[in-house]
Amino acid sequence: MWQSKSTGGAHVEEAIKQLLPPCQIKCPINEDIQRTNVLISLLPRDIESAKQGIMQIGDYLYEKNPFFNICGYICGLCELECNYKTKGGAIRRRLLKRFLSDHYTDSLSKKEESTVVKDKENVAIMGGGPAGLMCAYILSRMGYRPTIFESSNRLGGALWLIPEYRLPQSVLNTTVENLVRIAGIDVKYGAKIGQDKLTFERLRIDGYKAIFVAKGTPYPRVLTFGKDTVPGQDLSGVMYGQTFLYEVSHGNIEANYFQNKRVIVIGGGNVAFDVARTARRLGGEVTLVALESEDKTSRDGIPADEDEIRGAWEEGIKIIHSRGVQKITGERGRFKGISSPKCTSVFNEEGFNPKFDLDDCIDLTGDVLIITVGQTPDRVFLQKENLLDERGRLAVDPFTLQSLRNSSVFIGGDVRRIGFMVEAMREGIEAAESIHRYLRGLNMREGRKRDYEKFDIPERYEYKSPTDVAWIPPEKRLHFQMFERGLSLQEAIEEAKRCVTCGPCVSCKACISIGFEKSLYAVEVDESRCSGCGTCVYACNYDSAHLVERDGKILSSTDMFRCKSCGMCVAACPSDARKMVDDNTYERIDKVFASLD
Amino acid sequence: MSNFEPKLVCFSCRFGWGFLGNEAELSSQIKNWIPIICSGKLDTAHIVDAFKHGADGVLVLGCPEGECHYQDGNYEAKKRIYLLHKVLASYGIEPDRVRIEMSLDPEGKSIPKLVKTMSDTIKQLGPVKKA
Repeated sequence: MWQSKSTGGAHVEEAIKQLLPPCQIKCPINEDIQRTNVLISLLPRDIESAKQGIMQIGDYLYEKNPFFNICGYICGLCELECNYKTKGGAIRRRLLKRFLSDHYTDSLSKKEESTVVKDKENVAIMGGGPAGLMCAYILSRMGYRPTIFESSNRLGGALWLIPEYRLPQSVLNTTVENLVRIAGIDVKYGAKIGQDKLTFERLRIDGYKAIFVAKGTPYPRVLTFGKDTVPGQDLSGVMYGQTFLYEVSHGNIEANYFQNKRVIVIGGGNVAFDVARTARRLGGEVTLVALESEDKTSRDGIPADEDEIRGAWEEGIKIIHSRGVQKITGERGRFKGISSPKCTSVFNEEGFNPKFDLDDCIDLTGDVLIITVGQTPDRVFLQKENLLDERGRLAVDPFTLQSLRNSSVFIGGDVRRIGFMVEAMREGIEAAESIHRYLRGLNMREGRKRDYEKFDIPERYEYKSPTDVAWIPPEKRLHFQMFERGLSLQEAIEEAKRCVTCGPCVSCKACISIGFEKSLYAVEVDESRCSGCGTCVYACNYDSAHLVERDGKILSSTDMFRCKSCGMCVAACPSDARKMVDDNTYERIDKVFASLD
Repeated sequence: MSNFEPKLVCFSCRFGWGFLGNEAELSSQIKNWIPIICSGKLDTAHIVDAFKHGADGVLVLGCPEGECHYQDGNYEAKKRIYLLHKVLASYGIEPDRVRIEMSLDPEGKSIPKLVKTMSDTIKQLGPVKKA
C-alpha cells in the first residue's frame, strides 16, 4: 500500500546558504516542489487507492501553504525557473498542483481546527487578501490572536478579480472560508479601518499590540497622457477594469451584457487580458489596445503572460500593440471613441516614460471603454495614518516590512508593491515573522536573510516532452466555466515522473515519507545516556538540536526537518548519547547472504 | 541432479518494483529478496559475495532506461553487470547466472514469476561448479 508518513518532510531551512532546486528558489514561499513531484510519481495507478496518498500530500502542503489549491489554478511561477525548460518544457507543476487541488479541496471542510493555544497578543490585520490571510494563518499557529478587518463582505481580496474561467469561485470560497475556520482567525466584515472611528489609535486602545496593513490596491489608476489625465473618463460607457471585474465576480452583470457592443480595453497586463476575455464572454466584440510592443523579449514588450495572449487571440480578441490613448471622444455624454497615437518607446532609464509619434495616430470607435492600466493604494488613508514619507512614498523597511514611522505597524502585499498572489503571501509570512520578533522583543533582522544557490539540471540520456495542456476549443469556451482541463491521475503520474529532482538529497526526503529509506544518515539520541546538559544545542549550527521534557526528564532531541547530519553534536556530546545512524541496506544484504550458507 | 533447487538472490529497485505492493507479503513469496533504493547502489562486490555465500544466481531488477530516479543508477548497474559477466566467466561462473531486468512493476506481482523463470534457467546449469 502507498503509505506516506508526515515525518521526514523537508521544509526549507533558514540556512545562510543552501543549494536547492531552482523551482523552489523561484517560489516566493519556497514550496517543497521536488518532494511533491516525487510523491505524485509514486501514487497508485487507480484513483481510489491513490486518494489516500493525495490527501497526505495535500495535508503536508497545507501546513505551509493553505492556498496551495488556488496556486494550482493561477500561479505556476516555479515553472519559469524549471531546469527542464531548456530540455523541451518545464515540468507542469501548476497542473500537478491543480490535480491535487481537484481531489483535495472538497475535503477541506472536514479538516479539523487547529489546537494551538492562542495565549499571545492580539494583532489587527487590515485586509483579508492573500497577504492578510497568510499573516493571520502564521500568527495564529504561533499562538497569537489575529483579527482580520475586511472592508468588504468576503475574504480573498484581489483573488476575486480573477475571472471564473481561470479560478472557480467555489474553490476560492472553500479555501478562504476553511482557512479562517481551521486556523481560528477572527474576521470582522465591513470593517473599514481609517473610516469613522476605526483608527489605529482605536485599535491600540482595544488591545491590539501590532497592526499589519495589507489593504491592497483598491483604486484603479486613471489614464494619463504625458503628465495630464486624459479627459473624458467620466463619460457614460467608460469604466475601469478592476471595477468591472469586481462587479462581474459579484454577479452584478448579467450574461450578454456586451451583446452587439464594441468594447475597447486599454492595457497590456494580465488584468487587462482578464478584462478583455471577460468582456468577450459577455458577448462583446473586443479590441485590446496596449502601449507595449508584441515582442515580449524587449524592454517595451507586453507584460501579460503568453498563455493569456494566446487565449485572447484564440477567442477572437483583436490586439493592437504599441498604441496609447491621447484623447477620449464622446457624443452627448456617451463614449464614442479614442485617438490612439503610435507609442515609440515605453520605458527609458528612469522607468515608465512613454514617447509617442503624434503623426501616426489612428481613431478607434466603440461603445464601451474599459481602462485597465493599473491600480493604486488608498493614499488618503496612508497619509492620514502617517505612513508616507516626505516624497509621498510608503515609509517602510522592505526587509522587515516594519513601518519607519510607527514601529507597531507593518505593511505588505499589493499596497507595498503590486505582485502575484504568492508574492503577497510571502509578505504575509515575513510580516508575521516581524510581528513575532517585535512583540517578543527579538532582533528584527538576525538570521533572516536567505541566500540560496540553484542546482543545475542533471544529465539524462533522453528528455521527455511535457504533457499537453488541454484547452477547450475557443468557439466552445466563451462561458465562465474552466477552459483548461485538469490532469488525470495517469497524466499526473507521468508528468511528475519527468521531474529530474535537481535538488540535493536532503531537500526532499520523499523517500523517507514513502518508507523507501528508514532514514537519511541521521543523528539519533540514546535517551538512557542523555543527561539533558544541552551541549548539543550549542553545538548545532542548524537549530535542530533541542531540549525537550519527557516524563519529567530533560532530554535532547533532533528536529529532522533541520538536521543536516553534520555530526557536530555527536562530536560535542560528553556522554556519548548521540550517534549517527546509517541506512539498513547492508544489514539486510548480510542477513540474506548468511541464510544462503 | 533433478532435485537441485537453485538459490537465487533478487535485488530490486524500490522506485520501479513493488512499492505499491505489500512488502511482507511479497517477501513471503520471493526468497532472498532484497529491495534496495536504486539498482545503482548495488556494488559488483555484493554480487560476487552472493556467489561466495553459495548463491546459484543473482537477479537484479532496475528501472527502465531513462527512468532512474537518480539519473542513471540503472545504467550504472547495467554497465557493472555487463563487465561482471566478463570476469565471472574466468571464475567458471556462467554469465547466465547474473541477469538484469530493466522494467517496471509497481505492484511487484511479476517478481515471483521472474524469479521462477530465472531459477528454471539455472536449474539447467546446475549448481555453481567450485574450482
